[in-house]
Amino acid sequence: MADKVLIVGGGISGITAAVEAAEAGLEAVIIEKNTYLGGRVAQLHKYFPKLCPPYCGLEINFKRIKQNPKISFHTLSEVKSISGSEGNYQVTVQVNPGYVNEKCTCCNDCVAECPGERANDFNYGMDTTAAIYLPHEMSFPMRYVLDKNACGSGCTKCVDACKYGAIDLDMQARTVEFNVSSVVFATGWNPYDASKIDNLGFGVAKNVITNVMMERLAAPNGPTRGKIVRPSDGKEVKNIAFAQCAGSRDENNLDYCSSVCCMASLKQATYLRDCYPEDSKATIFYIDLRAAGKYEDFLMLVKADENVTMTKGKVAKIEEDPATGDVTVTVEDILGGGKVEATFDMVVLAAGMESAAKGANLPADLVYEANGFMDSKQKVAGLHACGVARWPDDVATSVQDGTGAALKSIQSNGGIPKTADAVEMSGGN
Amino acid sequence: MADETVDKTEETAGAEEETAAEAIAEETAVTAAEAPAEGAGTEVPVVAETAFEGEEPAISEAAVAAPAKEVVAITPDVSFVRDIIKGGGVDLKKCYQCATCSVVCNVTPNESPFPRKEMMWAQWGLKDKLVGDPDVWLCHQCSDCVAQCPRGAKPGRVMQTIAKMSIPSLSKPGFLAKGIGNPSSLILMVAIPVLILLAVIARFGHLTNPERGEVVNGVPVHPGEIVYGSFLGHWPIVIVFSTFFVLSIIIFALGVRNYWGMMKKHVQEEGNDVSGSGMSQVGPVIGEIASHKKFGKCDETKDRKISHLFIFYAFGLLFAATIISTILTDFPLLWGGEGSLSPYPTISLVKLFGYTGAIAGAVGIGLIIINRIKHQEKIGIGSYFDWLLISVVLVIMITGIGSVAFRKFDVGVVAYPIYFVHLSSVLFLFIFAPFSKMSHMVYRATAMVFAKTVGRDTPM
Amino acid sequence: MADPKLGVYICSDCGIGEALDTEKLENIAKNQYRIEVVKTVPFLCSQEGAQVIRDDINNEGVNKIVIAACSPRVNSDTFDFDPAQYITERVNVREHIVWSQLPAAVEEEPAQEAGTEAPAEASGDEAAAAAPAEAAPETAEEPAEAAKPAVNENTQEMAEDHLRMGIVRAQKSEPPEPVIEAVERTVLVIGGGAAGLTSALESAKAGYKAILAEKEAVLGGWAGKMYKILPDKPPFEDVKTPDIDEKIAAVQSHENITVLMEAHIDSIAGTPGQYDATISHNGSTETHRVGSVVMAIGWKPYDAGKLEHLGYGKFKNVVTNVEVEEMAAANNGTISKPSDGQQAKRVAFLQCAGQRDPEHLPYCSSVCCMTSLKQALYVTESDPDASAFIVYKDMRTPGLYENFYKAAQNNPGVMLTKGEIVSITEDATGNIILEIDNTILGEKVRIEADMLVLATGMVTNMLPEGAEKVTDLTPEYVGQWKETETQDGIIKEVIADPVVLNLAYRQGPELPYLKYGFPDSHFVCFPYETRRTGIYAAGAVRAPMTAMQSANDGVGAALKAIQCVELTSRGQSVHPRSGDESFPEINFTNCTQCRRCTVECPFGVLDEDEKGTPKTNTSRCRRCGTCMGACPQRIISFKNYSVDMIASQMKAIKVPEEDSKPRIVALICENDAYPALDIAGLNKIQTNPFYRFITMRCLGGTNLVWIADALSAGIEGFLLIGCRYDDDYQCHFVKGSKAASERLGKVQETLSRLMLEAERVTQVQLAMNEWDQLPKIMNDFAEQLKGFGPNPFKGF
Repeated sequence: MADKVLIVGGGISGITAAVEAAEAGLEAVIIEKNTYLGGRVAQLHKYFPKLCPPYCGLEINFKRIKQNPKISFHTLSEVKSISGSEGNYQVTVQVNPGYVNEKCTCCNDCVAECPGERANDFNYGMDTTAAIYLPHEMSFPMRYVLDKNACGSGCTKCVDACKYGAIDLDMQARTVEFNVSSVVFATGWNPYDASKIDNLGFGVAKNVITNVMMERLAAPNGPTRGKIVRPSDGKEVKNIAFAQCAGSRDENNLDYCSSVCCMASLKQATYLRDCYPEDSKATIFYIDLRAAGKYEDFLMLVKADENVTMTKGKVAKIEEDPATGDVTVTVEDILGGGKVEATFDMVVLAAGMESAAKGANLPADLVYEANGFMDSKQKVAGLHACGVARWPDDVATSVQDGTGAALKSIQSNGGIPKTADAVEMSGGN
Repeated sequence: MADETVDKTEETAGAEEETAAEAIAEETAVTAAEAPAEGAGTEVPVVAETAFEGEEPAISEAAVAAPAKEVVAITPDVSFVRDIIKGGGVDLKKCYQCATCSVVCNVTPNESPFPRKEMMWAQWGLKDKLVGDPDVWLCHQCSDCVAQCPRGAKPGRVMQTIAKMSIPSLSKPGFLAKGIGNPSSLILMVAIPVLILLAVIARFGHLTNPERGEVVNGVPVHPGEIVYGSFLGHWPIVIVFSTFFVLSIIIFALGVRNYWGMMKKHVQEEGNDVSGSGMSQVGPVIGEIASHKKFGKCDETKDRKISHLFIFYAFGLLFAATIISTILTDFPLLWGGEGSLSPYPTISLVKLFGYTGAIAGAVGIGLIIINRIKHQEKIGIGSYFDWLLISVVLVIMITGIGSVAFRKFDVGVVAYPIYFVHLSSVLFLFIFAPFSKMSHMVYRATAMVFAKTVGRDTPM
Repeated sequence: MADPKLGVYICSDCGIGEALDTEKLENIAKNQYRIEVVKTVPFLCSQEGAQVIRDDINNEGVNKIVIAACSPRVNSDTFDFDPAQYITERVNVREHIVWSQLPAAVEEEPAQEAGTEAPAEASGDEAAAAAPAEAAPETAEEPAEAAKPAVNENTQEMAEDHLRMGIVRAQKSEPPEPVIEAVERTVLVIGGGAAGLTSALESAKAGYKAILAEKEAVLGGWAGKMYKILPDKPPFEDVKTPDIDEKIAAVQSHENITVLMEAHIDSIAGTPGQYDATISHNGSTETHRVGSVVMAIGWKPYDAGKLEHLGYGKFKNVVTNVEVEEMAAANNGTISKPSDGQQAKRVAFLQCAGQRDPEHLPYCSSVCCMTSLKQALYVTESDPDASAFIVYKDMRTPGLYENFYKAAQNNPGVMLTKGEIVSITEDATGNIILEIDNTILGEKVRIEADMLVLATGMVTNMLPEGAEKVTDLTPEYVGQWKETETQDGIIKEVIADPVVLNLAYRQGPELPYLKYGFPDSHFVCFPYETRRTGIYAAGAVRAPMTAMQSANDGVGAALKAIQCVELTSRGQSVHPRSGDESFPEINFTNCTQCRRCTVECPFGVLDEDEKGTPKTNTSRCRRCGTCMGACPQRIISFKNYSVDMIASQMKAIKVPEEDSKPRIVALICENDAYPALDIAGLNKIQTNPFYRFITMRCLGGTNLVWIADALSAGIEGFLLIGCRYDDDYQCHFVKGSKAASERLGKVQETLSRLMLEAERVTQVQLAMNEWDQLPKIMNDFAEQLKGFGPNPFKGF
């Protein structure tokens, strides 16, 4: 047995699978295509229902990774091929260059010199960084990255600025081989491209944003340093609307419920209320408010705020007033209110989650259901799926699922590798 | 007024022995004679008014009996739900009440908008609520809702199905409506006009050797040529067509009366009162229809406005043609005078209107077909109910033009059969106008007048 | 370990060299602490830099390494000297000092403006980097020496004190020696439902032994009692016949699984890896040695007897969803009216019956919407003309379960409306009449039904039958309040009744539960965290969920159970200090049996004998040190973390005479406060220079003796920066920061004895993403202290 599991995806469920497996005694290697571990949760301001920061959970998980020799990881990496069978898979991984090596101390001298500029994908393009940048404050590994597409030709300013010789413009992609007993796919999700929803004005009306963007607007390390203002004119947002099921539960877009958007919007309503406690108002337009289980308490909590209104009816038309930048939504207030138009400073589309594995052409014989989520029971032994790759769900459930995947990978390994220091119990009864 | 219409028809029919060009003009024109139902809505107010006065006391009682927003007992009816599904609302049950449809609909009023509530009623099988519902006919079948519905429930289709299913309770006898709405009984329905015509021809016309020429007022007319008049004489046609035309008008009249009453009841049950005769609203409605303003509000199927306008004005023109030929031919004939000036010179109003009408109609129907094919992916190709009307009109146009052509080229073998098909299809249209989709021109117009009357109009 | 030999290494890069006088720092190590190996190394984190240290380890025998450079949160792989042999102490002069201090600051007023403005300015790293540069000239307080750029006195002193504290900390640390104990690689699974069966089976598949204890005579739980079950495979559209039997067969036939039917857990004693579970079943009682426990005892339906307002018990034809399921299972899907046994043609379903209702179950049971859709299909299945109308508040079919909603709804007989029940009445014929308001039919409606099904909810089996309302449970355990007289007054505590586990634990016989009786994890990130190491809850016992979700849950729980045993076998801690080999050691000679440690331990680690002497159960321990902080005798300590260590660190702080240089000690939690300070530094956010940071595993370890000592040594005040506590606690050790705050209450009396203001000791709750608030928090506290005037003990 290879005594090792390879985990595709370094988001919260992938990290969990790795850490839980490794702490049980199985070696784990994480393959992450992004420049840092943490995935989508790193871009969230707070978790529902506790309104606690995802950074907190990431901190502990990173600590567990740092202190555990059984865990290794590669960022900027993608799986190229998988061959073999359960217990003995050969996996080829391509590690792409970030043009900055382990010598980087994060001193930031390079940024001061860098003339390049790039849209900041961490903030969903709502601000920019230099061509060389630190992805975010909790980047793990804590290392700068160079976006060569944003570099002027022949520019070496950053190289000259770095006294540690950490920047290597000639860095090449390299391939790494792994022999593992199983592969866990924790490929996670992408926010649904809201511009595909033709009647909700995303990309047309400037002050229509998506829920993931709202997370960044509220975050202290977001484009506005946590101040919720509108993209068009930086005006403080005092009157906001949340359009639920923007793309979700919709045959023309995502034909399933994304599970988290209701709770996310309730949470984001509190962002605004915290930002402007005196005079901010939020309205949530919904089909069904899905606060399952004990999340109901959170729904009640937000409902108790008289400045938060909830109206049953799907927003199906959004228009911008070009003069003011205000946004008008049309909706039928289903409980007898008739068809109404209401105008807001900004509208947040509760856009859903789309399986990132969908159309990613993963080099493995995987079984997907109609929407691109993986079956929990894969037909090929030793290939496992967990987290949102398997089912659109919240963080707690994805973590729970990642923990389960850890056990599956141990089973694929025929059990836990025997270690010297472990003392066997004689018999027991 | 009713008489006048009757006269017209008689006379139109009277123009029968005229060249096929007129013939086309005429028969189609006769159909067009009903266009006012949509175009001018001539008989609507009359009927409406009588209906109204007739029911005045009853209504005020009803109004008292139905105070606003009391608890309404509802009786779910699975079989009715199944009927709607069978009738064409196949995706009805997919609706999960998000109200996207009501929002994207540009034709619905803002207060208790359609089609969301109709979807709800339909899902629960609440027949009574749907029957008197003005909105069912207010729907212009834009299909914006069909295109946008997140569940693929096709509300537009459901609305149409409900409308179709309400016809039997409006236009009597209901079995004709049921029959025409049901593909399996198509042959039977087609047989009706065909047999009637065969019978009439067998009795009054010449199924065999029509070339021998017809004798009008003792004078043989154009012996040896193809003369449709000699196939079936002038007066038989006048009688047959005008009879069924008048019948249709009466059925419509009663239907409108029915419908008006139902809508009143419905509105009162919803807790609103109805006042005003509706007379005052006829004008505006005519305006709206003439301009096809509401069609203009459709997003998905904007192009529909044009095609429908073509058809609509085609009927108008052919109607005009009929009037003229009536004045020129039938009146004199009736008074025993020289029924003639016929065949009309090629440059004559009758022919001008006749031809342009025919062409406009052909173009319109062509456009409609093209549009439907163009949109089928997003909103479906349409129902049997739609296609029946489209086909009939198409057949009328083609056989009409065909009759002229083959007469000119003097190919009797083909000309007479085509002319026969032409006559039967026109008669088909007459007989089934109140039961087929054709009835929308009357019932929608009625619903529009009613909506305006109760202040349930679309914000423009 | 061999005789301790310290080596001190100061990095001069990343601005440290410019901002600090490293020579002075070296001298402190050399002269004050008599350390021979003291070096300033540029770019210390480079391979060359690390090599310098490795050479000293090999050649000079250095075994305690003090690194004054960047945060230990970075370059951990570079300075990864074997913790079993070496002590590595990282003094964070970069993020916590150099990067968060102006090159030169006016002594008089702490860098408040800078501090508060910085976050605003510091948009983008460039701006941040620029800020200090601009600030420098006008705030430069001494004329810059020609040779070196002005070294700010306060920054320098801050660094010096932190170096001193680091050296002391290293001196006082020894590498931990793990307790390696024999472990039993067997998981005890309690409950034979969907979750339990899965846990047992998956554990066995992973090479562990499993003992499955089921209280009933049959396995399968609810999943075995149903007529049809919800879809559990793509496309998640159609109900299916229960297939739990396959799983039961697999469990029963597995050689490594022992199934005990009609079993009762008499007691579970011991610690993870070595539990002794005494289980009686069919007459006999046996004790089994197990390594860990999965508790999957499931749920019970809410007592519908309390739902008379919905007609239950009042009208014959009002039943619960559970009763309908039994009916369907018994009659092959036919639903008939209890009143006359006739088949029901019109069945109404009322969702959230006694749920989402403060009077009954305030929560949502997650599964009822799907259950009612399923049962609606029973109604139409047996008679196509029958109709089922569902009255809901919100249809909750999350994720791919939406497919099931769509499929079920597509049945002509299934009708739905949102609505609120106004009244439920019965007519002469026994039919049920529902009056519903706020419906999507746009009006108040009355529906007549043959039968009404109440979609009642799930209650965790942690609560015994007929337990009081889930909304007013006794805290943590079912039981009775009891007041006990102790040497520090009356302690009010709950005497818990055993329900399932019968744990022989001092703190109680069960897993402590949270809201509504669910022994759930409170952590979004760590859903399996319970407060009893080695015991994990799975399935509907911990939160309402479907059978499919319960089965998934069982897999994860099995992993945690196995993992706990594996870590224990290596003498290591489980989450959150996973892998920690240190553990609390008690010097019993001075123990006064005050019981504070046994009471305050958040994980029920410490048991006590009848006299009250604590018994450490190492493998239960999470190494937070709350016991250490609780102990008034200061007799609990870890090899590398102790009361004395931190007390000595405080003593190492040099308290100057001038009142203009107050010294404030900040005890910071390593989990959130520490990284928050790092991020503030990374953003070049200016913080107050008069603070001295001491890192805590958890504020729960705060021992009051430090405060007394330090204040009498002239420290102006104490700021405890830790995690949020109470309802939405974020404390990784559940009650640590809470315990600290309670202790601070007690410190008042100490302070007044010293004639000092109680507010000189303050605790703040800081979430990790609130780094931008640090300057204000710190400056405000400093200002408050200034208001009190200088600490009278200064200079004694």
